[in-house]
Amino acid sequence: MGADNTSAERRRTLVTGVIGSDTHIVGNRILGMALEKAGYTVVALGALTPSDEFIKAAVETAADAIMVSSLYGQGELDCRDFRNLCIEAGLEDILLYVGGNLVVGKQPWAEVEQRYRDMGFDRAFPPGTRTDAVIAALEDDFRAPAAGGHKAGR
Amino acid sequence: MGAIRRPDTGESPLSAAQIPEDVFAAMRRDNLARWPTGAEVDLDAAVDFHKSLPEHKRLPSVLRRAVAEGRCLTQPRGGFGTLELQMELMRTLDKDGFADIVPTTTDSYTRNEHFSSAQKGIEESKRLGRSMLNGFPMVNYGVAAARTLIEAIDKPGIVLSGTAMPKLTSEIGFAAGYSGYLGSGIAYTVSYTKDISIADGIRNYQYLDRLTALYRERGVELHRRQPGFLTGTNIPPSIAIITGVLDALLAAGQGVRDYGLELGQTLHLVQDAAAIQVCGELCQEYLRQHGFDDVFTPVTSLHWMGAWPQDAAQSAALIVYGGTLAAVGGAVSVTTKSTHEAFGIPTPEANAEGLRMTRMAIYLARSIRLDSMPEFQREKDLIRKEVRAVVDKVLDMGDGDAALGTVRACEAGVLDIPWSPNRCLKSRVLPARDADGYLRILDAGDMPFPKDVLDFHEDRLRERAGREGVPYDHDLAVTSVYEISETLDKLIPGLPAAG
Repeated sequence: MGADNTSAERRRTLVTGVIGSDTHIVGNRILGMALEKAGYTVVALGALTPSDEFIKAAVETAADAIMVSSLYGQGELDCRDFRNLCIEAGLEDILLYVGGNLVVGKQPWAEVEQRYRDMGFDRAFPPGTRTDAVIAALEDDFRAPAAGGHKAGR
Repeated sequence: MGAIRRPDTGESPLSAAQIPEDVFAAMRRDNLARWPTGAEVDLDAAVDFHKSLPEHKRLPSVLRRAVAEGRCLTQPRGGFGTLELQMELMRTLDKDGFADIVPTTTDSYTRNEHFSSAQKGIEESKRLGRSMLNGFPMVNYGVAAARTLIEAIDKPGIVLSGTAMPKLTSEIGFAAGYSGYLGSGIAYTVSYTKDISIADGIRNYQYLDRLTALYRERGVELHRRQPGFLTGTNIPPSIAIITGVLDALLAAGQGVRDYGLELGQTLHLVQDAAAIQVCGELCQEYLRQHGFDDVFTPVTSLHWMGAWPQDAAQSAALIVYGGTLAAVGGAVSVTTKSTHEAFGIPTPEANAEGLRMTRMAIYLARSIRLDSMPEFQREKDLIRKEVRAVVDKVLDMGDGDAALGTVRACEAGVLDIPWSPNRCLKSRVLPARDADGYLRILDAGDMPFPKDVLDFHEDRLRERAGREGVPYDHDLAVTSVYEISETLDKLIPGLPAAG
């Protein structure tokens, strides 16, 4: 605890969970442990979490980012309207990450990443991403806030 | 503690006793009315269809024959979002993969009974020309469509549906001619759900097991199977077998007499062989103790269920080695994966290749046994001690009733599962791999393992921490989650990093 990002300003809050009908909790739990260790407040929604629960939790906790995990292939259906739901809830600018096995089958990562960027996610992470990479990305994005890179994915 | 009642009706308290015939008839009527295709289920017609199938398309017969001949069968997993894709997949697995058992994995919306979402998934898959679902939406398609899949293959079909809610998929699947169904009330509720109580999960599978017995009463034997792989992440053999024994008692209580047990591979040759042997042995011991002396309990070994390496060559090694582990351990069948595992659902071709790699390994390992190895005997003794300590306590907590005992033991942490998503569990128990590659218990939580056993686990894990120069703490468990998926240069010190 007591990592650098807490000293400068307020402690940032992240909502985590595994979206849709997906139960793959292990990586998500390890990510949560690493994020807490890095000084973030983690609101862990666990497995089998519908989109609206992510957004509700983000509103209630005034979260800085939502981190969506999906391992079972159906994320493409589950995540399609995610940014729009955020906008409807007044979270236009909330940072959105998604990571895992994001499509059914082995598809070229560049295409998958673009598909999720188009859905409005600020960053998409491929299978096998380690926690260090996610924490480094968060630090970058929080250091350069409101860059506007994620405005509805355009 | 009083009897646990159904939250809504309060009609029948949870117990391991068989559901009475009239009560079950009413339950079936209600269940089949939940989705339009339920009306297609006609038990008499289904029984006739099963009886018309040749022996080699009935899973119980195929498994008994494999045991008699000392063979290790192969079975993949597989499911796509439309009937056309599913049929092509099953034909490929049958013809190009030489699968002995052909699967139909249901998609995750179906597993959670979100049938309207599954319907959208079918339509999207058709529109985009690729599967948008991670399995076959069997309930949406219904009995007649699913039967065309059984007719398209020349092997027995098994339904794979990681769910705590199997009541409609099993009705549709059995009526379509599938002769096996994987899943159980304890294992799948603790592994695939967040908010479903253990009691409700047990009840849902008592329905399926009672349905299996109903077919049996009419002369059709169907295969039921327990998914002891649990959360698929570093499950020590004893924890898998504990759930296997308890789920087997519950199934036998409903009248099931053909009950397979699955064990995820630890990837340690000696530990896996010990697990396979002790699993069958202890299930029989407890079944007989409870008066069930005629239950067939074949053991299936499962290719690595944790995170896979992205490198196809490293994955191929796990596939081949997994065939070796199953064959040396004496498993009746092995459930296979493919080199696409790190990326998700494999193509039919990659899936078929996984089957052939495995089969070649089984062929090569056909007569190797470990019985003379002291480590093999040591590991078997260790697993026996661990399983008996927990199962005896669970049964004691239920005054001999496996259902009540399980619910109470989960609440108390006496029965616990590593990395479980279910909120009814403490999920404090943590496994880690030791320096020799055995899975050990780092933190037992509140599970009542004997002290000498836990001392042994700790000793082995402290040795690993010492060798690696890292602290003896929970990080040993976390690094063990990733280990098998690491690149070779991370696994093997001194190897140059991949270019």
